[in-house]
Parts: sequence; structure tokens; C-alpha cells
Amino acid sequence: MITLNTSAFARRPDFGAIVGVIMMFAVFSLIDFSGWWSGSTLGNILQFTAILGCMSIGQAIVIMAKEIDLSVGSVYGLTGIAFITLEADLGVPGAIIAAMAIAGGIGFLQAMAVIKGKIPSMIVTLGGLFAVRGLIYVWTGGSVRSLPAESRAHWLTQLFGGELFGIEAAILWTAGLMVVLSLVIWRMKFGNRLLATGGDENTALSQGIRTDRVKIRAFVLCSLLAGFAAILTLADKPQTHVTLGDLMELEAIAAAVIGGCLLSGGRGSLLGAVLGAFIITGVRYELISLGAPASWYISFVGLVLIVALIFNQSLIRWAGNRA
Amino acid sequence: MMGSSVRQLVRQHSEIGILLIAILLVAFFSFSSFDKWANAYNLASIAQITATLGLLALGASLVMGTGEIDISVGSTFGIGALVYLGTVATIGPIPAMLLAATAGAGIGLLNGFLVTRFGISSLMLTLSTLLVFRGVAVALTEGFSFSVPYDQRSGFLYQLFGGGDFLGVNTAFWWLLLGLIVLMAFLYATPGGNRLLAVGGSVGTAHSRGIRVNRVKLRAFILCGILAALAGTLEGGKLGFADGGMGRLMELQAIAACVLGGCALLGGRVSLFGVVIGAFVLSSIQSFLVVNGVQPQWFMLLLGVIVVVAAISDRALRDWALRSR
Amino acid sequence: MSVTPMNKNAPLIEVRNLDLHFGAFHALKNVSVSFDSGQLIGLVGDNGAGKTTLIKVLSGIHKPNSGEVYFAGKRVKEFHPKLAIKFGIETIQQSVGLCDNLSIARNFYLGREPVKRWFGIPFLDFKKMRDASTKVIRTFGLRENVSADDQVEMLSGGERQSIKIGRAVEFKNRVVIMDEPTNHLSVREREHVNELAQQLRDQGLLVIYITHDIHQVHKLADRIVIMENGEKVTDVAKDEMTADELEEVIRCGGRVVDTSKEVEPS
Repeated sequence: MITLNTSAFARRPDFGAIVGVIMMFAVFSLIDFSGWWSGSTLGNILQFTAILGCMSIGQAIVIMAKEIDLSVGSVYGLTGIAFITLEADLGVPGAIIAAMAIAGGIGFLQAMAVIKGKIPSMIVTLGGLFAVRGLIYVWTGGSVRSLPAESRAHWLTQLFGGELFGIEAAILWTAGLMVVLSLVIWRMKFGNRLLATGGDENTALSQGIRTDRVKIRAFVLCSLLAGFAAILTLADKPQTHVTLGDLMELEAIAAAVIGGCLLSGGRGSLLGAVLGAFIITGVRYELISLGAPASWYISFVGLVLIVALIFNQSLIRWAGNRA
Repeated sequence: MMGSSVRQLVRQHSEIGILLIAILLVAFFSFSSFDKWANAYNLASIAQITATLGLLALGASLVMGTGEIDISVGSTFGIGALVYLGTVATIGPIPAMLLAATAGAGIGLLNGFLVTRFGISSLMLTLSTLLVFRGVAVALTEGFSFSVPYDQRSGFLYQLFGGGDFLGVNTAFWWLLLGLIVLMAFLYATPGGNRLLAVGGSVGTAHSRGIRVNRVKLRAFILCGILAALAGTLEGGKLGFADGGMGRLMELQAIAACVLGGCALLGGRVSLFGVVIGAFVLSSIQSFLVVNGVQPQWFMLLLGVIVVVAAISDRALRDWALRSR
Repeated sequence: MSVTPMNKNAPLIEVRNLDLHFGAFHALKNVSVSFDSGQLIGLVGDNGAGKTTLIKVLSGIHKPNSGEVYFAGKRVKEFHPKLAIKFGIETIQQSVGLCDNLSIARNFYLGREPVKRWFGIPFLDFKKMRDASTKVIRTFGLRENVSADDQVEMLSGGERQSIKIGRAVEFKNRVVIMDEPTNHLSVREREHVNELAQQLRDQGLLVIYITHDIHQVHKLADRIVIMENGEKVTDVAKDEMTADELEEVIRCGGRVVDTSKEVEPS
């Protein structure tokens, strides 16, 4: 009985991520006990995890539909900059709505290019990654902006960037989104269709599922979540820069992949994606606190992704052998 | 009747689209800003940019021909330039060039090995190695100066690798011509080229005909790495110095040149001539923006859009050409 | 690499206790069978019976989990299509064999392209490639306007199959495996292919002919092997059983049936 449950647990898509988190706690406690367990370190790690996790949830949903979105880092940047820039004219609520509409619009445009243009999502979103980043440069002219004090005190800003019982709002928002979206994926029609579309598109089509609609929704959701992550970030620290979100698309993909989303589609876990984000953020913090030079960070993200990809591919083969 | 022969032409010569675009663009640029764009100095500078981008894109197109993709070429380009500039003063241009090519081959080998051994998506993997080697380049240039003293920039051998002109054009341009001819002979007239295209067309068929698919892919990645490092060498030779950001955005330009030039993203169809024309079109647009004083960031935005539009129109054109059998 | 026959009396191909799993799917279960030169073998069975898997092992595409394969008495240790082709095993498969993006001439010699050396560099011998493929195009009655330089994507299903069979005939092979060779062909083309299969057998080759259609293959074959659920269930010379009796074996899932109490199929 116990062995049966263990093997069922081991077959969960997020099994690897859960083990990874436990190992990370164990290893970092041994290496750097006082630094790792201090309230500010863990608090910082959790807040960044929440922001990256929010983005990874969206990425995980797109990956489950057997597509990929490389543009999320730029969408994150653009949404953040739109929020801050438009706030002067539209006020906080208007700016949030407009910024989110921009994010959703970009997701929809990219989805249409993938579906109507019949080209791989990797190429569309790679183009999107650069086009949106270019848009940020062209729009801002490279200058850094900030939010005025009265807007920071606005109740909406506080709702997304404040604290509740000493916990950062971002953490609560991401946890809430993860639970709600997990329910949508595992308990609702959309989730079933999403997994069918990613697992076997022809079968899904033959059962009357409009796979193109499912994919459009996945892309729009992914962009919206990336945009929301930017709002969570800027509501708390309302300063931005043209490089906001640079490389975050790769961290988000790495997080989803570590969290057990198969790039071959149809399998994944939102909890795993958030845990993957936690692992990446934790390792990065620990590297910095151990004194690794900042310029290594780029290489580090690349290496993490390579390891995640190899791990993922082995998992695909393993899953294929047990199917 | 007319339509079907046009279809036939498009089917067999995928570079036709880009050739037309190139002619129209040259005409437009010449008329709209004649003295600024179409003067000898600017055209020679376009030829030089086309040359380095073209070599980079030729390598990327070989990988694309096997059905994989190599995004890491931008970093390989930068590493090639750094290796060449870092060693040319001490060991001379030819050994330095060979060393840079070896570094490029090493990166290609790593990419190809990881892709074929683990079956990872090559776009994701080379995106990762793009970052890894970008980080290496940034780390290398911290505290080191990668520039060649002026008194050493005049030798014949130094000028041979991008450091000088021949017949009024930078030597890089003649290297591009040589590379284009050699690669065309390889791709269209040798068994190796035939197998490369077969792997891209149908892995199953290639495998069933006894072709070692992984080996073909590995070779394409290595060749791509070498060409990217050589392109970096030529760029480094021209500038005489380099920093860690060298080659940024070049990967996307290379992919754009391939798609513009009529290479199928999913493999099996490569037009080397079209790739070079594609590189020329991109360089011309960039130069047009520069001479007209447009913010260079517009090029980044434009580039992203060009990649997507080129991919979609290539797909649509092929569908149209194949519709009547 | 050439294979020297170790033992003149050994069968050309012998397979012993072959097992192959795809994940949880047991594709081949302890299959043992041997084939001799100069025979035309009908390999028959339903979808998923394991016949295509078996020939994919013989043509080097799949590696078995356990069991042995002998070619001309020599143990095969490495499985790769390249080695199978070197041994002289040519496979005509349903789905693969021609690259759509290449011309007919380029496809014809794919994997063993003829070369002419210029300054030591091996360049493709386009003349030889064109001549050989043009010959096949003409003898197999493809459309008049098809030339060796046309892309394969222009061809119909029957024309593709003709090129593949023509290629198998052109190279001097010892074994020709045909996997459902007449599936997409017209009646006339089908007869042509079947004649070719018999001609190859008469030239002393081993021909393994895979099909659903027991009646069709019964006319051609010297021996019939029936597979069911990954197992070999029947292996008889053509004269031992009639086509109807064999069909009954397939219908009953390979179980030996008592023909005296035949149940009428509804």
C-alpha cells in the first residue's frame, strides 16, 4: 500500500521539483546556515520567486499546449513600463487596465501569427522577444521613470505591492493564482482540452476540440500573467529600466521545465513551475552571497537551462517507457 | 499557363522572393536618399556588414537545412572576435584566425553533441549556450583589453582578415564570396550536401537509407560554429577592438537572413545565394536607418517583425507554389 | 565490409527468440524464424501483429531487447540501416524512403551517392544519378513529363512506390523486403509490382512480402508466415494450406481451428 502511494507520488510531474526544493534547503542550510535562514534572505527569495513564479505559471500553461513563449521577458518589461508611463495620464486603475490590455494584445497577436501563419511558436515569439524589447527602447528613449508618491499610496498599488500580515502581496497573489489556475487545469473543461491539445493535437481535433482557440487562450493567458508579474513588481518597487525583464523568459522556461512540464506537451504542473522558480531564485541568491561575479549570472541562467533541458528530455524518455 | 510556370519557378528557386525585395529596396533607397545611401563609401560599408553577417548566416543556414536551428551564433561570433584580437598581436594573424576557428568549432561541437546525444530542442539549447558564451565573453573582457595596437594593424596578413581593403572593398567581402562558392559546391554537388538536405527533408527516410543522421547534424553545427567564429574574426580585424557585447542581435539577424533568403525553417531547403542576399537586405535597411538619423533601436523592433513576417510569407508562398501539382 | 558466408548451409537470415518492447507495448514476443535465398515469403498479419516491427529489426531500424539475428550464419551485433544496406538488405517501406524536398535523381542514390573526383574532392556524379533514375522512370511507366530532376513532392503515391521498387531492383541486393508494396497502386501497377517480386525471387534473391491480403500473396509466395500479437503463429509452405484456410487462421487470432465446425461469420 505504502509502496503504491510512493510510486504514484514519484510519478507526479512536479516530483523532481519537490525533491529539488528539499535538497536545496538541505544543501544551503549546510553551506550557509545563518545567511540562508535569515528572515530578509528568505523573504527576498520568496518575493522574487512569486514574481518569476507568476510568469512561469503562464509559461507552463503554454508548454502544456505544446507551444512555447519566448517573449514573456519583453512583455513583462513593456507592461511594467506601460503601467508607469501611462499612470501620469490614466491614473493607477486606468494604467493597470491599459498595461494588462497591452500584454494580452501582444499574446493574442503572437497566437494569431502562430495559428494563421502556421509557423513554429518559437520563431514567432523569438521575433516578439526582440520586437517588444525594441518597442520599449523606442517608446522610452532609454530613460528611467518612477511612480509619484501619491500613486504609490493608492489602494490598488497597495493591493498589488503592499503587505498583508507581514507577507508581501506578490507572494499571496502568486499562491492564489496558482491554486485557482491549477483548479482550472485539473477540474475544468478548459484544462482537459488544453492537455489534450498538447498531448495529441490530432486526437483533440478529431474529438471536436477547437485546438486553435485553446492555444490562443493559452498564449493570451501567458502574456497576461507575465504582465501581471510586472505589475506585482512595480507596485512594490516602482522604478523601472529599459532592461526590465531581460533574460526572464529563459528563467521562466527553466522554471517550468524544472517543475516537470514536458516540452513535448500534455504534461506539467503549476505547483512545479512555482517550485522551479523557487529553486532558480534560491540558487542565484546563494551564488551571489557566496561571492560569484555578477557577469557570471548570464552564463548561470544558460547553464541552468541546459541542465533543465537534459533533465526534461530524460524525463520524457522515462515517461515514454512507462506509458 | 502563365501562373503554373511562375509556380514552377518559385518552387524550384526559393530565393526569387528575396531577390525581388532586394531590387525594390535598392531602388527605393537610391531614390529616397540618393547621395546619403548610394555613395561609394556607404556601399562599401554595406558590403562589409553584408560579408560578416552573410558568413554567419551561411553557417546558420546549414544547421537550418538539417532541420535544427543555431541561435548561439551571435555569441560564437563574439568569442571568435575576442579570441582573434586577444592573440593576434602575439602569435600573428593566421594562427590567431585558426585559434578563433577552433574555438568556434568547439562551441559547434558542444551544441551538436548536446542536441544529438540528448535529443533536446536545438532552439532551446542554443539559446542557452548563447547566454553561456555571452557571459563568458563579458567575463573575459572585464579587466582585459581586447584591442590591437595601431602599429600592428598594417601588415598584409592582418589586412587579409578584415583589417584592410582589396579592390576598394573590405577583404571580408572576398572571404564571403569564397565561402559562398565553396559551400555551394559542397551543398549542391557532393554526397555530404545531399545527405544534409535529406536529413532536413525527412529524418526517417535519411535514417532508412543508412545515413548517420546525428553525425550529419553534428557536422553542420561544427561548420556553423567555424563560420560564425570566422565572421567574428573578420569583424574584429576590421574594428581592431571588441567588447563583451560584440555580436549581440547578430543571431536574430542571421536567422532572419536565412528565412528571408528562402531557407525552410523546418529544414530540407537551403538557398545559400538567397541567404547572402537576405544578409544584404538587412544590412541595407540598417544602413538606411543610420544614414537617415533614425534611432538605432528601431532596427531591433523592425528585425523582430521582419523575422515573423518573413517566416509567414515564406510559408504562404510555398503553399501557393505547391497547390497545383 | 563484406559478409563471407560462414556456413554454406546456414539460412540467409535467421532470427532466434527475438523480443522487443516499446514502453509497455510488447511488440515482438520470442519470435524465431529463418529465411533462405531464392524464396518469396509472404509475411501476413493484422495491424499491430508485429510484422512491420520484425522487418524494421531486419533492416536495422529497431534494435531488439533480446534475441539474436544471424545473416548468412554470422551474428549481427550492431543494428543500423547502414549495416543492413551493406549486407544487401533493401527495404521498401510504406511511409519513408524518399525525401520530398530532393529531386528523383538525388533520392535514387541517397546514402550511397556515386562520385567523380575532381582534385581529390568527391563531387556527385550527376550523369550517373540521372541516367539510372530516368531508366526507372521510363520502365515503370511514370507520367511522360516527369524527369529525373523533378522534386519527389510532385509525384503521386503510386509513382513514389515505383521509384522505391525500381531502386531496390537496380542495386544488386540479396534480400528485398517489401512492406505493403501495392497499397496505393492502381490495378495495373499492382500486377507489375507482383511480377517484379517474382522476378527477383527467380534471380535467387530472398523476397519478404508483407501484406494484409492473404489471397494476393498466396498466389506469389513459396511460404507463408503469419504473425499475431507479436508472435509467429503459423509458418507453412504454400502447398500445405489453402488461402481460405490461412484466412481462417488470421481471423481466429492465430488459434488453430477445427475447420469441420466452422462458424459462419456474421
